[in-house]
Amino acid sequence: MAIVSTTRPGVKRFIGVDFDLGSLRVAGPRYWAFVSLLFSLVALGVMAWGAALTEGGSVMAMRDDYPWGLWFANYMYYVGLSAGGLVVYASVHLFGAEQFKPLSRVAVLQAGVLVMLALLGIITDMERPARAVWMLLTPNPTSPFVYTGSAANIYMIICFIDLWILITGKGGEKLAFRMTLIALPFAIYLHTTTAFVLALNKSRELWNSAVMVPIFLTSATASGIALLLIVAYIMQHYRVLELTSSMFRSLATLLATVIIIDLFLLVVEMLTIYWPTAAKPGHTIRFSHFLTGEYAKFFLPVLVMGIIAFALLASRKNRHMPAIQITAAALYVVAIFLKRYSLMSMGFVVNPLGQYAPPYVPSLVEVLIALGLAALGVLMMTVAAKVLPLRVPEEEHEAEHRAAHTDAVAVGSLEAG
Amino acid sequence: MSHDSNPRRLAEQPLPEGCTVSRRRFLEGIGSAAGLLAAGTVPAIATVAATAANASESVSGEPEPGGGIGYLAEANQSVNYPGKPVHYAEPAGDQKWGMVIDVKACIGCRRCVYACVKENNIGRNAGFTYIQVLEMELGKVDVEHGVLDYEEAGRPDKWYMPVQCMQCAKPTCVYGCPVIATWKEPDGIVVIDYEKCIACRNCMVTCPYDARHFNWVEPEVPKAEVNPKVPLEEKAGVVEKCTFCIQRTRNGQTTVCTEACPVGARKFGDLNDPESEVSILLKTRRVWRLKEEFGTEPMIWYVG
Repeated sequence: MAIVSTTRPGVKRFIGVDFDLGSLRVAGPRYWAFVSLLFSLVALGVMAWGAALTEGGSVMAMRDDYPWGLWFANYMYYVGLSAGGLVVYASVHLFGAEQFKPLSRVAVLQAGVLVMLALLGIITDMERPARAVWMLLTPNPTSPFVYTGSAANIYMIICFIDLWILITGKGGEKLAFRMTLIALPFAIYLHTTTAFVLALNKSRELWNSAVMVPIFLTSATASGIALLLIVAYIMQHYRVLELTSSMFRSLATLLATVIIIDLFLLVVEMLTIYWPTAAKPGHTIRFSHFLTGEYAKFFLPVLVMGIIAFALLASRKNRHMPAIQITAAALYVVAIFLKRYSLMSMGFVVNPLGQYAPPYVPSLVEVLIALGLAALGVLMMTVAAKVLPLRVPEEEHEAEHRAAHTDAVAVGSLEAG
Repeated sequence: MSHDSNPRRLAEQPLPEGCTVSRRRFLEGIGSAAGLLAAGTVPAIATVAATAANASESVSGEPEPGGGIGYLAEANQSVNYPGKPVHYAEPAGDQKWGMVIDVKACIGCRRCVYACVKENNIGRNAGFTYIQVLEMELGKVDVEHGVLDYEEAGRPDKWYMPVQCMQCAKPTCVYGCPVIATWKEPDGIVVIDYEKCIACRNCMVTCPYDARHFNWVEPEVPKAEVNPKVPLEEKAGVVEKCTFCIQRTRNGQTTVCTEACPVGARKFGDLNDPESEVSILLKTRRVWRLKEEFGTEPMIWYVG
């Protein structure tokens, strides 16, 4: 049996997946212009990484005051987006939210690609990437890095296996359900450990708060759902998927719910920082830079955009409008990036010896690497949209409605209806 | 000064049953400790201290062999020790190193900083030093408002607090390193394997004393000033920090900062040795540690 077989003209079957390479040949010039733009961004990023490897860390804007930089903000951001997208997919199986079923393949693909970007971001930051092998040979169980690093790797593999199972239909609904049982706790575990990288430092008062973990999870879920909503609209626009407006409405409702929990947790954290009987100078001094210091221009928009996004979606009259949904989602995707960025750099603005450092602004090399990585992610989604069968077959969809999940469907249709 | 030049023999004399610390012992304790701290710089006080020390020979001793500080050396165990010695230093002996810094004596001249840079091959272009001297407001230990880049030392309206790697008994950096590239040696010195460090910089984030520093550039040291006993090229692109001058202290010398201090504000020695200056100071003076509430158990004490 050949490893690669041709099922239809232009369609190659490899490991049970139909790769529609023929569609690339008939793709229009605009598609190729977009792809080549992405390619050149990726190339620039690779060149910037080469510069970082040869020149050493001095080409980065990171210094002792800012031991971590843009790459780490991106790591948290991508991991969060990834985990969030998976929640939607998992709700199909766990909560019987059948209206999200058409999105399941895209959601899993997005989760896998994003966590891959997060991992690549770490590698581009390492001055000696080859030494990463020590993470496998002599892992230190008391370091949160070990957990988040291994979780991200395993999670990425789970996502791609899951995507393969969804596309090939191997193992049927049962296996897909079991994969969800693995993937969802892993998504939560991954993001919890990422939050722990910050929260488990008694040396950094700003981060050393247990509420950091739930905030991470809600921010992640909200931004992940928001990004998935945008991706879904794009996919629908280019006729990759056919989605109903009731699905978008459910997605928007879910998004609004998570946003308000996210904002609530933030307010709780701020209260403990400023309340006279709770305020600790180290914590208050550091957090105040968020509101009045030089980072206010990064952080205040987080609050403003978050509240606007919620307000847009809160009104039942407007929630169904695509423009409202896309605006709110875009606001929150940007807001969470700013939140990650300011959270990362604000943890460092006053060092453990009380020394103030001017705000961290990434260098050109760091920005190019980050842009290159983001472009790589978009590139993978763009190509996958053409080549991979992301559309969930109609008959499969129908069959499941009739099949075993009748009780679950009832719950799901409440939301959908 | 080395750690074995101490005249006192407190530990050898048992305290009579039911005896609390007498006024006389209290006074001679203060006298001798002050003498230790000022030795070499203020001869008059040193003479007084010597007298006090001689007097102490005939007075009562300690209730227990460790003098009440035995638990400190005991707590100072190795952490994540992989069993191999540091390639540029002798294997650890049975000492437990500690340091006492007299902030009353410190004038903030930064001579310890300069000596340390020279001794430990810190890149002159690196932009960091192992030792950072904080200029503090009178009246509080307020690190949050300390000044590092002060220009005038020795101001009477300020006080000075040198901060460096505390060689903590519970080192957050060692706990935080994902690959065990840093560990605590049996003699209490926290070291870094420059060949193994993956440059994740988690140790810098997790250290409450800002004691760890990353070589963002290749460290440059003038050829004539390179210390052959300390690595140089290996430190490019990895984290480094104070090692209590491991290359010196394991060969019977004291740390270079202790040697360089013009006012004798630093005392370095073996906690296991009840007669070392450090042990005696810990027994006779009231000391504090920076960020004690963090539970990192630093092995540098302040007294003042």
